[in-house]
Amino acid sequence: MAIQFNEHHFNDNVEKNVHNDFMRGAVASAQDHLYTKRLDAVEELGDWEQWRNHAQEIRQHVLEHLDYYLHELAINVEKAGGHVYFAHDANEANAYIRDVVRQKNAKKIVKSKSMVTEEISLNDALEAEGCQVLETDLGEYILQLEGDKPSHIVAPSLHKNKDQIKEVFVEKLGYDEQNTSEAGELARYVREILRDEFLAADVGVTGCNFAVADSGSICLVTNEGNAGLVTTIPKTHIAVMGMERLVPSMEELEVLVTMLTRSAVGQKLSSYVNIVTGPKHAQEVDGPEDFHVVVLDNGRSSILGGDFEEVLQCIRCGACVNTCPVYRHIGGHSYNSIYSGPIGAVLTPLLAGYDDYKELPYASSLCGACTEVCPVKIPLHELLLKHRQVIVEEEGRAPVSESAMMKLFEFGASRSPLYRFGTKVAAKAIKPFAKDDMISKGPGPLKTWTNVRDFPAPKEQRLRDWFETRDKGGNV
Amino acid sequence: MEQTQFLSTIAARLQRTANTTERPIKNWQHRPNAQHDARMTNDDLLTTFKEQCTRIHTDVVEATRGTLQQEVAQVIKNYGGPVSVWDDARFETYGLTPLLMQTLPQHDIAVYTWSNEKSREQNFAEANISRVGLVFSEYALAESGTVVLYSAEGAGKAVGLLPHAFVAIIPKSSLLLRMTQLSQLFRQRVEAGELLPHAIDYVSGPSNSADIEMKLVVGVHGPVEATYIVLTDC
Amino acid sequence: MKVALFATCLVDVFQTNVGKATVELLESLGCDVTFPKGQVCCGQPAYNSGYIRDAKEPMRHMIDTFLHEPCIVTPSGSCATMFKEYPRIFADEPIYAKKAQLVADKTYELTEFLVNVLKVTDVGASFPHRVTYHTSCHMTRLLGVKEEPYILLEHVKGLELVALPNAHNCCGFGGTFSVKMGTISEQMVDEKIDCALQTDADYLIASDGGCMMNINGRLHRRGDKLTTLHIAEVLTQHEGV
Repeated sequence: MAIQFNEHHFNDNVEKNVHNDFMRGAVASAQDHLYTKRLDAVEELGDWEQWRNHAQEIRQHVLEHLDYYLHELAINVEKAGGHVYFAHDANEANAYIRDVVRQKNAKKIVKSKSMVTEEISLNDALEAEGCQVLETDLGEYILQLEGDKPSHIVAPSLHKNKDQIKEVFVEKLGYDEQNTSEAGELARYVREILRDEFLAADVGVTGCNFAVADSGSICLVTNEGNAGLVTTIPKTHIAVMGMERLVPSMEELEVLVTMLTRSAVGQKLSSYVNIVTGPKHAQEVDGPEDFHVVVLDNGRSSILGGDFEEVLQCIRCGACVNTCPVYRHIGGHSYNSIYSGPIGAVLTPLLAGYDDYKELPYASSLCGACTEVCPVKIPLHELLLKHRQVIVEEEGRAPVSESAMMKLFEFGASRSPLYRFGTKVAAKAIKPFAKDDMISKGPGPLKTWTNVRDFPAPKEQRLRDWFETRDKGGNV
Repeated sequence: MEQTQFLSTIAARLQRTANTTERPIKNWQHRPNAQHDARMTNDDLLTTFKEQCTRIHTDVVEATRGTLQQEVAQVIKNYGGPVSVWDDARFETYGLTPLLMQTLPQHDIAVYTWSNEKSREQNFAEANISRVGLVFSEYALAESGTVVLYSAEGAGKAVGLLPHAFVAIIPKSSLLLRMTQLSQLFRQRVEAGELLPHAIDYVSGPSNSADIEMKLVVGVHGPVEATYIVLTDC
Repeated sequence: MKVALFATCLVDVFQTNVGKATVELLESLGCDVTFPKGQVCCGQPAYNSGYIRDAKEPMRHMIDTFLHEPCIVTPSGSCATMFKEYPRIFADEPIYAKKAQLVADKTYELTEFLVNVLKVTDVGASFPHRVTYHTSCHMTRLLGVKEEPYILLEHVKGLELVALPNAHNCCGFGGTFSVKMGTISEQMVDEKIDCALQTDADYLIASDGGCMMNINGRLHRRGDKLTTLHIAEVLTQHEGV
């Protein structure tokens, strides 16, 4: 599965990553920085809840009428002179793109950042054809040099520091050891290298932040300007989009772009918002002569119309990732998926199944921070809870010991005499383990708690007993 | 995969048959952007625009038709040559032709005009070695410090992307508050059956990236520097 | 005013001081407090672990226990949130859906009750100490009770409230999360404690037993000198200023 990075169990990945001090420092400072920037941008816009409500209703409307709008998009892309291909899965998408590349006899391909092409492992498919595929987003480029994987849907190389990046450049690009590891110097160096690559490229591949149904346009949002170059210099442009990423018209596009840039990086608008409609016109010099849109299902349709449909409202802004206290400590790679953080924990099991990802829905304290920041109002923590319910009640994948305990809980807690008896007995049972009213080595199920922290000893007298016997007297 | 089959799968999940004919009714319950209607004067918009530009590493120069030639010359002098320009009638309209065709070349500053009479490669090569790319903005958005460029026959997209510095000329009357106002115009054009320009580029300052340790680096793939020249009497 | 105390299991068994303070506080403000004996656990541990079916039985029991109480107050934002969730959980069981709505509508978290129902902002407490306040996630984000604890603390004589850095981050409790994902929970609670220590406060105040048990347990394990107190315990202090 192309979404997945490695074969390790979630817990092993977590154990490894929580000891990566640099990564954790980088993630924490990025989160803290973006927290303020996002809040400022939200404040500045004003009426944020209304904007969220509007963004949500737009996304829900599109999902509800997805067949109509995709049909309309296809008609209008073709009217503008482009081609549309509907791909059921990664194989179909890759095969189509490979065919286009073959027809053009293309060897050099430049890409701007796209999660969906990561999802289908397009690079592998094209490299197998003997093509040179170059990621041009600075973060993606750094990762590609080393064969590393993205740890954040917006800032893919967040887990690497500048010294590590410099080392990669020295080793892979011949960057002078004497040069500094200052971000600006590193970026300029890449600028020079990639400029030549852009000019030599045959095909440009982009993702698609949003497609506009009534005009047949594709909207690309970047700061680096690489999407502009990818859609300007090569003679062929192939845009790959998740089938849900569209809006009815430019008016709704505006709302979602506003929500995207403010939520992702706290910008009023990113430096480049490129709206591309069809290939270049006849008398124009630059821009693609040939324009293709690949609409990808790859598991999305099975989410539609079900309990998890709201996840398809996602506009990939990463705000939930930037606020998640769990992501903060374990980093993106722990999720073992190109989609990390809360959105990854909801989406990955849906796209790639529970076999490899049944731990992800539990990697959340259900604190609701993700739901609170989501610009399109996906109830992320509720969907995580929904996953847990499916895992327990429909899939029967919960550990036996846990199920047994919950059964006992149900039995005991639903009957107040039993509950009263139980709390008394359990209290007595664990009392001997206490020292100074605290238990540091708990028995049985308490052990997992006391591995990390002490557990309070139960009080001699429960509140209900006190209430009953206190001077003022009990009641009921 | 067949489009029909693809759409049927979707419709089945939505528990109905595929609809490709009946336009869905948009019945929005929330219109936050309606309140963002521009009731600001052009002067207010310019103030907002200039203030935002200070935050996006972009210089703003104000000029009138009378001083435009001089201001453009100064900006070019600061960045150096060569200069890439669009093949655009507005240069003539605004009296910039003598500067571009005579004065600059006389001072050994090459001026490359984008043209479909040259090869694609030659146009790119010229833009690529230029220090300045000089373009016209169709609209400017005050809130975000954005200029809006249309691709057209003489208006190569590469002129705004490949040179070291991005310079855009903006008639003050084309200032809008934000994307909201412009999007309405686009929607109306589309509804009237018009085909949009191949590329509509919203550009807000020079290119930048924060991919290395979240430190903002200005000037990544596109321009490293940017100047907007606002024509205050147009 | 007659108030039924929904104590929560943590307070009933482990944090009885919080329960006593809550009763004392409500009575000092003229409330007639009762303790419905039938109360058990609200079902949250099972519910949040995905055992919705199993959680429903104790929930029905809680609904029936509190159904005829005029007003329900609990010293826990998280457990109050659970009561508020009941109508949704029972949406497809008409009889219980109706009952659940009645219960949810008259359930209040303690500070919410004081400020919005009793309209009290100064309870007459004094507590001359430097303190910081931990905002519980369920109480602020899900229940929407944000300002009330601060309003009450601001009126406590002598109390110096220092803002907790990164207050919005979860403390790492999350019910069964704290044991299922122990490693992650540990990192989260450690950061929370480090932030609290940075404030140089003598007390860390919270409004939720779960967060307190987590933070306090870790503080104790680490040997840090910082005392956790429930807001009810602070609001019943009358130390000389």
